Amino acid sequence: MAIPLSKNPIAANPRGGLGSGVASVHNPSVEDPAHRRRYDERLMRSADWPTSPSDWTGRLRRTIKDARVRRAAFGFMVFFALWYLLTAVVVPPRFNFIPNPVYLFEQWTSQTPEYGISMYSPLYYEHIGVSTARVYTAFAISVGLGAPLGIFLGWSQLGRNLIFPIIELLRPIPPLAWVPLAVLTLPATEAAVIVVTLLASFFATVLNTYLGVRSIPETYLRAAACLGYGRLDVLRRVIIPGALPFIFTGLQIAMGVAWFSLVGGEMISGRSGLGYLILDGYTQLALPNIFIGMITLGVLGWFSSALIRKVGNVLMAWNTQGRGESQ
Amino acid sequence: MSRTTTESLFLKRWRNRLKSPILWQGVIGVTSFFVVWQLARTLGFMTLIPGPVEVAAALPREMKQDGYWLSWVASSQRVFGGFIAAALLAVALGVLMGMSRKLRDTTFPFMEIMRPIPPLAWLPLAILFWPSPEMTMMFLTFLGAFFPIFINVLSGIDNIDIRYVQAARSLGSSQRTLFWRVMVPGALPSLFTGLSIAIGITWEVVIAAEMASGQRGLGYLTWNAYMGHSMVGILVGMLSIGLAGMVSSGLMSWFGTRAMPWRRR
Repeated sequence: MAIPLSKNPIAANPRGGLGSGVASVHNPSVEDPAHRRRYDERLMRSADWPTSPSDWTGRLRRTIKDARVRRAAFGFMVFFALWYLLTAVVVPPRFNFIPNPVYLFEQWTSQTPEYGISMYSPLYYEHIGVSTARVYTAFAISVGLGAPLGIFLGWSQLGRNLIFPIIELLRPIPPLAWVPLAVLTLPATEAAVIVVTLLASFFATVLNTYLGVRSIPETYLRAAACLGYGRLDVLRRVIIPGALPFIFTGLQIAMGVAWFSLVGGEMISGRSGLGYLILDGYTQLALPNIFIGMITLGVLGWFSSALIRKVGNVLMAWNTQGRGESQ
Repeated sequence: MSRTTTESLFLKRWRNRLKSPILWQGVIGVTSFFVVWQLARTLGFMTLIPGPVEVAAALPREMKQDGYWLSWVASSQRVFGGFIAAALLAVALGVLMGMSRKLRDTTFPFMEIMRPIPPLAWLPLAILFWPSPEMTMMFLTFLGAFFPIFINVLSGIDNIDIRYVQAARSLGSSQRTLFWRVMVPGALPSLFTGLSIAIGITWEVVIAAEMASGQRGLGYLTWNAYMGHSMVGILVGMLSIGLAGMVSSGLMSWFGTRAMPWRRR
Protein backbone atom coordinates (compact mmCIF):
# COMPACT_ATOMS: atom_id res chain seq x y z
CA MET A 1 0.00 0.00 0.00
CA ALA A 2 1.27 3.40 -0.89
CA ILE A 3 -0.69 5.36 1.68
CA PRO A 4 1.62 5.00 4.70
CA LEU A 5 4.55 6.11 2.60
CA SER A 6 2.79 9.25 1.49
CA LYS A 7 2.07 10.17 5.13
CA ASN A 8 5.80 10.47 5.66
CA PRO A 9 6.68 14.02 4.58
CA ILE A 10 10.17 13.12 3.38
CA ALA A 11 9.00 10.25 1.22
CA ALA A 12 6.13 12.28 -0.18
CA ASN A 13 6.39 13.86 -3.57
CA PRO A 14 8.13 17.22 -3.11
CA ARG A 15 5.81 18.77 -5.64
CA GLY A 16 2.91 17.93 -3.31
CA GLY A 17 -0.35 17.13 -4.97
CA LEU A 18 -1.49 13.58 -5.40
CA GLY A 19 1.89 11.92 -5.72
CA SER A 20 2.51 8.98 -3.43
CA GLY A 21 5.73 7.31 -2.38
CA VAL A 22 5.36 4.70 -5.08
CA ALA A 23 4.86 7.29 -7.76
CA SER A 24 7.89 9.25 -6.57
CA VAL A 25 10.19 6.39 -7.47
CA HIS A 26 9.40 7.15 -11.07
CA ASN A 27 9.66 10.89 -10.49
CA PRO A 28 13.07 12.06 -11.67
CA SER A 29 12.93 15.26 -9.59
CA VAL A 30 13.24 13.26 -6.35
CA GLU A 31 16.47 11.73 -7.49
CA ASP A 32 17.82 15.15 -8.36
CA PRO A 33 20.02 16.07 -5.32
CA ALA A 34 19.54 19.84 -5.68
CA HIS A 35 15.83 19.43 -5.67
CA ARG A 36 16.01 17.18 -2.64
CA ARG A 37 18.11 19.67 -0.76
CA ARG A 38 15.67 22.48 -1.48
CA TYR A 39 12.86 20.31 -0.32
CA ASP A 40 14.69 19.43 2.90
CA GLU A 41 15.32 23.09 3.58
CA ARG A 42 11.68 23.93 3.13
CA LEU A 43 10.78 21.10 5.45
CA MET A 44 13.18 22.29 8.14
CA ARG A 45 11.75 25.76 8.03
CA SER A 46 8.26 24.50 8.75
CA ALA A 47 6.78 25.11 12.19
CA ASP A 48 7.09 21.67 13.77
CA TRP A 49 10.59 20.68 12.80
CA PRO A 50 12.64 20.33 15.98
CA THR A 51 15.50 22.78 16.49
CA SER A 52 18.57 22.46 18.65
CA PRO A 53 18.77 24.94 21.53
CA SER A 54 21.95 26.47 20.14
CA ASP A 55 20.39 27.28 16.77
CA TRP A 56 19.50 30.91 17.51
CA THR A 57 18.49 32.00 14.05
CA GLY A 58 16.31 28.96 13.63
CA ARG A 59 14.60 29.59 16.92
CA LEU A 60 14.15 33.25 16.16
CA ARG A 61 12.61 32.45 12.79
CA ARG A 62 10.35 29.95 14.52
CA THR A 63 9.29 32.52 17.11
CA ILE A 64 8.42 35.09 14.48
CA LYS A 65 6.45 32.55 12.50
CA ASP A 66 4.48 31.33 15.51
CA ALA A 67 0.85 32.39 15.29
CA ARG A 68 0.65 32.97 19.06
CA VAL A 69 3.57 35.36 19.04
CA ARG A 70 2.08 37.22 16.12
CA ARG A 71 -1.25 37.53 17.86
CA ALA A 72 0.42 38.76 21.04
CA ALA A 73 2.35 41.35 19.04
CA PHE A 74 -0.89 42.39 17.40
CA GLY A 75 -2.52 42.82 20.82
CA PHE A 76 0.30 45.04 22.04
CA MET A 77 0.23 47.06 18.85
CA VAL A 78 -3.48 47.69 19.26
CA PHE A 79 -2.90 48.81 22.85
CA PHE A 80 -0.11 51.22 21.98
CA ALA A 81 -1.95 52.52 18.93
CA LEU A 82 -5.01 53.22 21.07
CA TRP A 83 -2.89 54.88 23.72
CA TYR A 84 -1.20 57.07 21.13
CA LEU A 85 -4.48 57.85 19.42
CA LEU A 86 -6.19 58.88 22.65
CA THR A 87 -3.33 61.01 23.96
CA ALA A 88 -1.78 62.55 20.86
CA VAL A 89 -4.32 62.59 18.02
CA VAL A 90 -7.86 62.82 19.37
CA VAL A 91 -7.73 63.83 23.00
CA PRO A 92 -10.95 63.21 24.94
CA PRO A 93 -11.56 65.48 27.96
CA ARG A 94 -9.85 63.58 30.77
CA PHE A 95 -6.99 62.23 28.72
CA ASN A 96 -5.17 65.51 28.18
CA PHE A 97 -2.67 65.03 31.00
CA ILE A 98 -1.64 61.50 30.07
CA PRO A 99 1.67 61.53 28.20
CA ASN A 100 1.68 59.70 24.90
CA PRO A 101 3.87 56.59 24.59
CA VAL A 102 6.36 58.16 22.18
CA TYR A 103 7.00 61.10 24.50
CA LEU A 104 7.25 58.72 27.44
CA PHE A 105 9.83 56.61 25.69
CA GLU A 106 11.80 59.72 24.73
CA GLN A 107 11.80 60.86 28.35
CA TRP A 108 12.85 57.46 29.59
CA THR A 109 15.80 57.26 27.22
CA SER A 110 16.80 60.93 27.23
CA GLN A 111 20.03 62.19 28.75
CA THR A 112 18.33 65.31 30.04
CA PRO A 113 14.82 64.30 31.09
CA GLU A 114 12.32 67.04 31.83
CA TYR A 115 11.47 65.71 35.28
CA GLY A 116 14.83 64.27 36.30
CA ILE A 117 14.06 60.56 35.95
CA SER A 118 15.32 58.53 33.02
CA MET A 119 17.45 55.47 32.45
CA TYR A 120 20.54 57.68 32.68
CA SER A 121 19.77 59.37 35.98
CA PRO A 122 21.37 57.83 39.08
CA LEU A 123 18.31 58.81 41.13
CA TYR A 124 16.23 56.31 39.16
CA TYR A 125 18.57 53.46 40.10
CA GLU A 126 18.65 54.67 43.67
CA HIS A 127 14.85 54.32 43.90
CA ILE A 128 15.00 50.91 42.26
CA GLY A 129 17.79 49.79 44.58
CA VAL A 130 15.97 50.96 47.71
CA SER A 131 12.70 49.29 46.75
CA THR A 132 14.34 46.06 45.69
CA ALA A 133 16.42 45.89 48.85
CA ARG A 134 13.30 46.43 50.97
CA VAL A 135 11.29 43.78 49.17
CA TYR A 136 14.02 41.18 49.29
CA THR A 137 14.86 41.87 52.93
CA ALA A 138 11.21 41.56 53.87
CA PHE A 139 10.84 38.49 51.72
CA ALA A 140 13.90 36.80 53.23
CA ILE A 141 12.69 37.50 56.76
CA SER A 142 9.17 36.32 56.08
CA VAL A 143 10.36 33.13 54.43
CA GLY A 144 12.93 32.52 57.15
CA LEU A 145 10.26 32.82 59.82
CA GLY A 146 7.20 31.69 57.91
CA ALA A 147 8.39 28.46 56.33
CA PRO A 148 9.65 26.89 59.61
CA LEU A 149 6.49 28.03 61.40
CA GLY A 150 4.34 26.57 58.64
CA ILE A 151 6.20 23.26 58.80
CA PHE A 152 5.87 23.21 62.57
CA LEU A 153 2.14 23.92 62.36
CA GLY A 154 1.66 21.16 59.83
CA TRP A 155 3.74 18.74 61.82
CA SER A 156 2.65 19.16 65.40
CA GLN A 157 -1.01 18.73 66.20
CA LEU A 158 -0.77 20.53 69.52
CA GLY A 159 1.19 23.42 68.02
CA ARG A 160 -1.38 23.74 65.27
CA ASN A 161 -4.30 23.78 67.67
CA LEU A 162 -2.67 26.39 69.87
CA ILE A 163 -1.15 28.75 67.31
CA PHE A 164 -3.34 28.50 64.24
CA PRO A 165 -6.29 30.39 65.78
CA ILE A 166 -3.98 33.30 66.61
CA ILE A 167 -2.83 33.44 63.00
CA GLU A 168 -6.41 33.31 61.82
CA LEU A 169 -7.18 36.18 64.20
CA LEU A 170 -4.41 38.43 62.88
CA ARG A 171 -4.52 37.49 59.21
CA PRO A 172 -7.65 39.39 58.16
CA ILE A 173 -6.04 42.69 59.16
CA PRO A 174 -4.53 43.97 55.92
CA PRO A 175 -0.81 44.77 56.17
CA LEU A 176 -1.39 48.37 55.22
CA ALA A 177 -3.64 48.83 58.23
CA TRP A 178 -0.50 48.22 60.28
CA VAL A 179 1.21 51.26 58.80
CA PRO A 180 0.21 53.78 61.49
CA LEU A 181 1.08 51.37 64.29
CA ALA A 182 4.40 50.45 62.67
CA VAL A 183 5.34 54.05 62.05
CA LEU A 184 4.58 55.10 65.61
CA THR A 185 6.19 52.17 67.40
CA LEU A 186 9.25 51.38 65.28
CA PRO A 187 12.22 53.71 65.56
CA ALA A 188 13.04 54.13 61.85
CA THR A 189 10.79 54.57 58.82
CA GLU A 190 12.92 51.99 57.04
CA ALA A 191 11.96 49.39 59.62
CA ALA A 192 8.29 50.41 59.40
CA VAL A 193 8.19 49.98 55.63
CA ILE A 194 9.94 46.61 55.83
CA VAL A 195 7.60 45.35 58.55
CA VAL A 196 4.56 46.36 56.53
CA THR A 197 6.03 44.64 53.48
CA LEU A 198 6.85 41.42 55.26
CA LEU A 199 3.52 41.00 57.07
CA ALA A 200 1.57 39.99 53.99
CA SER A 201 4.23 37.69 52.62
CA PHE A 202 4.67 36.13 56.05
CA PHE A 203 1.06 35.00 56.23
CA ALA A 204 1.11 33.76 52.63
CA THR A 205 4.24 31.69 53.33
CA VAL A 206 2.96 30.25 56.61
CA LEU A 207 -0.40 29.24 55.17
CA ASN A 208 0.96 27.66 52.03
CA THR A 209 3.72 25.80 53.84
CA TYR A 210 1.18 24.52 56.33
CA LEU A 211 -1.12 23.37 53.53
CA GLY A 212 1.85 21.75 51.83
CA VAL A 213 2.72 19.70 54.90
CA ARG A 214 -0.92 18.72 55.32
CA SER A 215 -1.09 17.63 51.69
CA ILE A 216 1.55 14.92 52.20
CA PRO A 217 -0.21 11.54 52.03
CA GLU A 218 -0.32 9.70 55.34
CA THR A 219 1.09 6.63 53.59
CA TYR A 220 4.42 8.37 52.97
CA LEU A 221 4.82 8.98 56.68
CA ARG A 222 3.91 5.39 57.44
CA ALA A 223 6.34 4.12 54.83
CA ALA A 224 9.08 6.28 56.34
CA ALA A 225 8.26 4.94 59.79
CA CYS A 226 8.39 1.37 58.50
CA LEU A 227 11.80 2.03 57.01
CA GLY A 228 13.00 3.20 60.39
CA TYR A 229 13.32 6.92 59.81
CA GLY A 230 13.81 9.05 62.88
CA ARG A 231 11.89 12.29 63.30
CA LEU A 232 14.68 14.37 61.79
CA ASP A 233 14.95 12.05 58.81
CA VAL A 234 11.23 12.28 58.26
CA LEU A 235 11.46 16.04 58.34
CA ARG A 236 14.37 16.18 55.91
CA ARG A 237 13.37 13.39 53.52
CA VAL A 238 9.59 13.45 53.57
CA ILE A 239 8.08 16.63 54.98
CA ILE A 240 10.26 19.26 53.35
CA PRO A 241 10.36 17.75 49.84
CA GLY A 242 6.67 16.92 50.06
CA ALA A 243 5.74 20.45 51.01
CA LEU A 244 8.05 22.14 48.49
CA PRO A 245 5.52 22.52 45.66
CA PHE A 246 3.10 24.30 47.97
CA ILE A 247 5.91 26.31 49.54
CA PHE A 248 6.91 27.64 46.16
CA THR A 249 3.34 28.49 45.24
CA GLY A 250 3.26 30.36 48.54
CA LEU A 251 6.53 32.10 47.79
CA GLN A 252 5.19 33.37 44.50
CA ILE A 253 2.11 34.75 46.17
CA ALA A 254 4.31 36.16 48.92
CA MET A 255 6.50 37.96 46.40
CA GLY A 256 3.46 39.45 44.70
CA VAL A 257 1.94 40.76 47.91
CA ALA A 258 5.33 42.00 49.09
CA TRP A 259 5.62 44.32 46.08
CA PHE A 260 2.04 45.32 46.54
CA SER A 261 2.41 46.26 50.20
CA LEU A 262 5.76 47.89 49.54
CA VAL A 263 4.14 50.39 47.20
CA GLY A 264 1.49 51.17 49.80
CA GLY A 265 4.04 51.50 52.56
CA GLU A 266 6.30 53.74 50.52
CA MET A 267 3.41 55.90 49.42
CA ILE A 268 2.11 56.40 52.91
CA SER A 269 5.26 56.66 54.93
CA GLY A 270 8.36 56.34 52.74
CA ARG A 271 10.92 58.93 51.75
CA SER A 272 12.39 56.95 48.87
CA GLY A 273 11.69 54.03 46.60
CA LEU A 274 9.50 53.53 43.57
CA GLY A 275 6.23 53.99 45.44
CA TYR A 276 7.53 57.32 46.65
CA LEU A 277 8.64 58.18 43.12
CA ILE A 278 5.09 57.63 41.90
CA LEU A 279 3.50 59.67 44.67
CA ASP A 280 6.12 62.38 44.22
CA GLY A 281 5.33 62.43 40.51
CA TYR A 282 1.74 63.08 41.51
CA THR A 283 2.43 65.92 43.95
CA GLN A 284 4.79 67.62 41.49
CA LEU A 285 2.64 66.78 38.48
CA ALA A 286 5.53 64.99 36.79
CA LEU A 287 3.40 62.54 34.84
CA PRO A 288 6.22 60.73 33.03
CA ASN A 289 7.72 59.80 36.39
CA ILE A 290 4.46 58.16 37.44
CA PHE A 291 4.47 56.03 34.33
CA ILE A 292 8.14 55.19 34.58
CA GLY A 293 7.62 54.15 38.20
CA MET A 294 4.61 51.98 37.36
CA ILE A 295 6.27 50.24 34.45
CA THR A 296 9.45 49.65 36.44
CA LEU A 297 7.42 48.18 39.29
CA GLY A 298 5.63 45.90 36.87
CA VAL A 299 8.87 44.68 35.35
CA LEU A 300 10.55 44.14 38.73
CA GLY A 301 7.51 42.31 40.09
CA TRP A 302 7.31 40.10 37.05
CA PHE A 303 11.03 39.41 37.19
CA SER A 304 10.90 38.48 40.88
CA SER A 305 8.16 35.92 40.44
CA ALA A 306 9.87 34.51 37.35
CA LEU A 307 12.99 34.09 39.47
CA ILE A 308 11.07 32.16 42.11
CA ARG A 309 9.47 29.97 39.47
CA LYS A 310 12.89 29.23 38.05
CA VAL A 311 14.41 28.35 41.43
CA GLY A 312 11.38 26.22 42.22
CA ASN A 313 11.66 24.31 38.97
CA VAL A 314 15.34 23.63 39.59
CA LEU A 315 14.73 22.47 43.17
CA MET A 316 11.80 20.30 42.16
CA ALA A 317 13.00 18.85 38.90
CA TRP A 318 11.09 15.68 39.75
CA ASN A 319 7.83 17.47 40.14
CA THR A 320 7.43 20.08 37.40
CA GLN A 321 4.56 18.18 35.86
CA GLY A 322 2.52 18.02 39.03
CA ARG A 323 3.18 21.65 39.77
CA GLY A 324 1.85 22.70 36.45
CA GLU A 325 -1.35 20.89 37.21
CA SER A 326 -1.81 22.26 40.67
CA GLN A 327 -1.68 25.85 39.52
CA MET B 1 -40.21 15.58 61.47
CA SER B 2 -37.17 16.17 59.32
CA ARG B 3 -36.80 19.54 60.97
CA THR B 4 -36.36 18.03 64.41
CA THR B 5 -33.75 15.60 63.14
CA THR B 6 -31.72 18.38 61.53
CA GLU B 7 -32.00 20.39 64.73
CA SER B 8 -30.81 17.55 66.86
CA LEU B 9 -28.03 16.93 64.35
CA PHE B 10 -27.05 20.56 64.70
CA LEU B 11 -27.04 20.33 68.50
CA LYS B 12 -25.10 17.11 68.34
CA ARG B 13 -22.49 18.64 66.11
CA TRP B 14 -22.06 21.51 68.54
CA ARG B 15 -21.84 19.20 71.48
CA ASN B 16 -19.13 17.24 69.69
CA ARG B 17 -17.31 20.42 68.88
CA LEU B 18 -17.42 21.52 72.52
CA LYS B 19 -16.01 18.18 73.60
CA SER B 20 -13.15 18.18 71.11
CA PRO B 21 -9.70 19.24 72.29
CA ILE B 22 -9.16 21.31 69.12
CA LEU B 23 -11.59 23.97 70.31
CA TRP B 24 -10.17 24.15 73.81
CA GLN B 25 -6.61 24.28 72.65
CA GLY B 26 -7.57 27.06 70.27
CA VAL B 27 -9.21 28.96 73.09
CA ILE B 28 -6.09 28.50 75.20
CA GLY B 29 -3.90 29.73 72.34
CA VAL B 30 -5.93 32.88 71.71
CA THR B 31 -6.30 33.59 75.42
CA SER B 32 -2.60 33.25 76.03
CA PHE B 33 -1.97 35.63 73.12
CA PHE B 34 -4.09 38.28 74.85
CA VAL B 35 -2.59 37.49 78.24
CA VAL B 36 0.95 37.89 76.91
CA TRP B 37 -0.04 41.15 75.25
CA GLN B 38 -1.61 42.43 78.47
CA LEU B 39 1.33 41.26 80.60
CA ALA B 40 3.79 42.98 78.30
CA ARG B 41 1.79 46.14 78.81
CA THR B 42 1.39 45.91 82.59
CA LEU B 43 4.98 44.87 83.16
CA GLY B 44 6.10 47.83 81.11
CA PHE B 45 7.74 46.16 78.09
CA MET B 46 5.37 47.93 75.73
CA THR B 47 5.16 51.57 76.59
CA LEU B 48 3.57 52.70 73.34
CA ILE B 49 0.94 50.10 72.53
CA PRO B 50 -2.07 49.91 74.85
CA GLY B 51 -3.09 46.53 76.21
CA PRO B 52 -6.23 44.64 75.27
CA VAL B 53 -8.05 45.79 78.40
CA GLU B 54 -7.57 49.43 77.53
CA VAL B 55 -8.69 48.80 73.95
CA ALA B 56 -11.78 46.96 75.13
CA ALA B 57 -12.57 49.75 77.59
CA ALA B 58 -12.23 52.38 74.87
CA LEU B 59 -14.26 50.42 72.34
CA PRO B 60 -17.73 51.86 73.19
CA ARG B 61 -16.40 55.41 73.15
CA GLU B 62 -14.65 54.91 69.82
CA MET B 63 -17.71 53.35 68.32
CA LYS B 64 -19.85 56.27 69.44
CA GLN B 65 -17.71 58.89 67.73
CA ASP B 66 -19.55 60.35 64.79
CA GLY B 67 -18.70 58.83 61.50
CA TYR B 68 -17.71 55.43 62.86
CA TRP B 69 -20.60 53.56 61.27
CA LEU B 70 -20.55 55.87 58.28
CA SER B 71 -16.99 54.85 57.60
CA TRP B 72 -18.07 51.20 57.59
CA VAL B 73 -20.68 52.08 55.00
CA ALA B 74 -18.27 54.16 52.91
CA SER B 75 -15.55 51.51 52.84
CA SER B 76 -17.97 48.70 52.09
CA GLN B 77 -19.48 50.65 49.23
CA ARG B 78 -16.06 51.17 47.69
CA VAL B 79 -15.05 47.57 48.20
CA PHE B 80 -18.21 46.03 46.83
CA GLY B 81 -18.64 48.55 44.01
CA GLY B 82 -15.23 47.77 42.59
CA PHE B 83 -15.47 44.10 43.46
CA ILE B 84 -18.78 43.49 41.71
CA ALA B 85 -17.72 45.38 38.59
CA ALA B 86 -14.46 43.44 38.52
CA ALA B 87 -16.21 40.12 39.05
CA LEU B 88 -18.66 40.72 36.21
CA LEU B 89 -16.02 41.85 33.74
CA ALA B 90 -13.46 39.25 34.78
CA VAL B 91 -15.93 36.40 34.46
CA ALA B 92 -17.15 37.59 31.07
CA LEU B 93 -13.63 38.08 29.76
CA GLY B 94 -12.33 34.90 31.34
CA VAL B 95 -15.09 32.84 29.74
CA LEU B 96 -14.60 34.46 26.35
CA MET B 97 -10.86 33.94 26.48
CA GLY B 98 -11.25 30.44 27.80
CA MET B 99 -13.34 29.54 24.80
CA SER B 100 -11.56 31.41 22.02
CA ARG B 101 -7.96 30.59 21.27
CA LYS B 102 -7.42 33.63 19.06
CA LEU B 103 -8.78 36.16 21.52
CA ARG B 104 -6.68 34.61 24.22
CA ASP B 105 -3.47 34.72 22.22
CA THR B 106 -4.12 38.35 21.38
CA THR B 107 -4.97 39.69 24.83
CA PHE B 108 -3.43 37.38 27.40
CA PRO B 109 0.23 38.51 27.00
CA PHE B 110 -0.91 42.10 27.41
CA MET B 111 -2.76 41.15 30.61
CA GLU B 112 0.35 39.39 31.86
CA ILE B 113 2.27 42.64 31.50
CA MET B 114 -0.36 44.68 33.32
CA ARG B 115 -0.87 42.20 36.13
CA PRO B 116 2.36 42.68 38.08
CA ILE B 117 1.82 46.43 38.41
CA PRO B 118 0.54 46.77 41.99
CA PRO B 119 -2.96 48.30 42.10
CA LEU B 120 -1.77 51.01 44.46
CA ALA B 121 0.74 52.22 41.89
CA TRP B 122 -2.29 53.34 39.89
CA LEU B 123 -3.42 55.64 42.69
CA PRO B 124 -1.96 58.97 41.49
CA LEU B 125 -3.05 58.35 37.94
CA ALA B 126 -6.53 57.36 39.07
CA ILE B 127 -6.84 60.49 41.21
CA LEU B 128 -5.98 62.62 38.21
CA PHE B 129 -8.14 60.70 35.79
CA TRP B 130 -11.39 60.07 37.61
CA PRO B 131 -13.56 63.07 38.44
CA SER B 132 -14.50 62.07 42.00
CA PRO B 133 -12.56 60.40 44.85
CA GLU B 134 -15.31 57.79 45.09
CA MET B 135 -14.68 56.70 41.51
CA THR B 136 -10.93 56.72 42.08
CA MET B 137 -11.22 54.27 44.92
CA MET B 138 -13.69 52.06 43.12
CA PHE B 139 -11.32 51.95 40.17
CA LEU B 140 -8.51 50.84 42.45
CA THR B 141 -10.60 48.14 44.12
CA PHE B 142 -11.70 47.10 40.66
CA LEU B 143 -8.08 46.73 39.55
CA GLY B 144 -7.17 44.83 42.70
CA ALA B 145 -10.03 42.40 42.31
CA PHE B 146 -9.98 41.98 38.54
CA PHE B 147 -6.76 40.04 37.98
CA PRO B 148 -7.16 37.31 40.62
CA ILE B 149 -10.72 36.60 39.51
CA PHE B 150 -9.79 36.67 35.86
CA ILE B 151 -6.80 34.34 36.23
CA ASN B 152 -8.82 31.90 38.30
CA VAL B 153 -11.75 31.81 35.89
CA LEU B 154 -9.37 31.16 33.04
CA SER B 155 -7.51 28.39 34.83
CA GLY B 156 -10.82 26.93 35.98
CA ILE B 157 -11.95 26.61 32.39
CA ASP B 158 -8.56 25.28 31.32
CA ASN B 159 -8.60 22.61 33.98
CA ILE B 160 -11.99 21.17 33.08
CA ASP B 161 -11.39 17.54 32.29
CA ILE B 162 -11.63 17.16 28.52
CA ARG B 163 -13.43 13.85 29.05
CA TYR B 164 -16.38 15.71 30.56
CA VAL B 165 -16.68 17.77 27.42
CA GLN B 166 -16.32 14.68 25.25
CA ALA B 167 -18.89 12.80 27.30
CA ALA B 168 -21.37 15.65 27.04
CA ARG B 169 -20.77 15.87 23.31
CA SER B 170 -21.24 12.18 22.74
CA LEU B 171 -24.47 12.32 24.72
CA GLY B 172 -25.61 14.89 22.20
CA SER B 173 -25.47 18.11 24.20
CA SER B 174 -25.98 21.42 22.46
CA GLN B 175 -23.48 24.25 22.79
CA ARG B 176 -25.68 25.93 25.36
CA THR B 177 -26.06 22.83 27.49
CA LEU B 178 -22.34 22.24 27.27
CA PHE B 179 -21.76 25.75 28.56
CA TRP B 180 -24.28 25.72 31.40
CA ARG B 181 -23.93 22.10 32.48
CA VAL B 182 -20.22 21.46 32.00
CA MET B 183 -18.22 24.65 31.69
CA VAL B 184 -19.94 26.68 34.40
CA PRO B 185 -20.02 24.02 37.14
CA GLY B 186 -16.49 23.00 36.20
CA ALA B 187 -15.14 26.51 36.56
CA LEU B 188 -17.10 27.46 39.71
CA PRO B 189 -14.67 26.15 42.37
CA SER B 190 -11.82 28.03 40.79
CA LEU B 191 -13.99 31.13 40.40
CA PHE B 192 -14.78 31.12 44.10
CA THR B 193 -11.11 30.72 44.97
CA GLY B 194 -10.51 33.82 42.88
CA LEU B 195 -13.37 35.69 44.53
CA SER B 196 -12.12 35.00 48.04
CA ILE B 197 -8.58 36.09 47.14
CA ALA B 198 -9.97 39.18 45.45
CA ILE B 199 -12.11 40.29 48.36
CA GLY B 200 -9.05 40.26 50.62
CA ILE B 201 -7.10 42.34 48.13
CA THR B 202 -9.90 44.86 47.70
CA TRP B 203 -9.98 45.51 51.46
CA GLU B 204 -6.25 46.02 51.43
CA VAL B 205 -6.44 48.40 48.50
CA VAL B 206 -9.29 50.40 49.92
CA ILE B 207 -7.53 50.87 53.26
CA ALA B 208 -4.38 52.16 51.59
CA ALA B 209 -6.29 54.37 49.19
CA GLU B 210 -8.30 55.89 52.04
CA MET B 211 -5.15 56.51 54.03
CA ALA B 212 -3.44 58.18 51.13
CA SER B 213 -6.28 60.18 49.68
CA GLY B 214 -9.62 59.53 51.24
CA GLN B 215 -12.47 61.12 52.99
CA ARG B 216 -14.37 58.85 55.35
CA GLY B 217 -13.85 55.12 55.43
CA LEU B 218 -12.22 52.74 57.89
CA GLY B 219 -8.73 53.41 56.54
CA TYR B 220 -9.26 57.11 57.02
CA LEU B 221 -10.56 56.50 60.54
CA THR B 222 -7.33 54.70 61.40
CA TRP B 223 -5.25 57.36 59.70
CA ASN B 224 -7.11 60.06 61.63
CA ALA B 225 -6.33 58.30 64.88
CA TYR B 226 -2.70 58.15 63.80
CA MET B 227 -2.68 61.87 63.09
CA GLY B 228 -4.15 62.49 66.54
CA HIS B 229 -1.59 60.08 68.07
CA SER B 230 -4.42 58.03 69.51
CA MET B 231 -3.03 54.52 69.83
CA VAL B 232 -6.34 53.14 71.00
CA GLY B 233 -8.00 54.66 67.97
CA ILE B 234 -5.47 53.00 65.66
CA LEU B 235 -6.07 49.61 67.28
CA VAL B 236 -9.84 49.99 67.12
CA GLY B 237 -9.50 50.94 63.46
CA MET B 238 -7.35 47.88 62.76
CA LEU B 239 -9.80 45.68 64.62
CA SER B 240 -12.71 47.03 62.59
CA ILE B 241 -10.84 46.53 59.33
CA GLY B 242 -9.95 42.97 60.29
CA LEU B 243 -13.55 42.28 61.21
CA ALA B 244 -14.79 43.75 57.93
CA GLY B 245 -12.37 41.60 55.95
CA MET B 246 -13.39 38.51 57.93
CA VAL B 247 -17.10 39.14 57.35
CA SER B 248 -16.54 39.69 53.64
CA SER B 249 -14.56 36.52 53.11
CA GLY B 250 -17.10 34.63 55.22
CA LEU B 251 -19.75 35.98 52.86
CA MET B 252 -17.77 34.72 49.88
CA SER B 253 -17.44 31.20 51.25
CA TRP B 254 -21.15 31.22 52.12
CA PHE B 255 -21.96 32.13 48.53
CA GLY B 256 -19.56 29.42 47.44
CA THR B 257 -21.34 26.68 49.35
CA ARG B 258 -24.71 27.98 48.12
CA ALA B 259 -23.57 27.97 44.50
CA MET B 260 -21.84 24.59 44.70
CA PRO B 261 -24.08 22.36 46.81
CA TRP B 262 -22.27 19.28 45.54
CA ARG B 263 -19.13 20.36 47.38
CA ARG B 264 -20.84 20.71 50.75
CA ARG B 265 -19.61 18.16 53.23
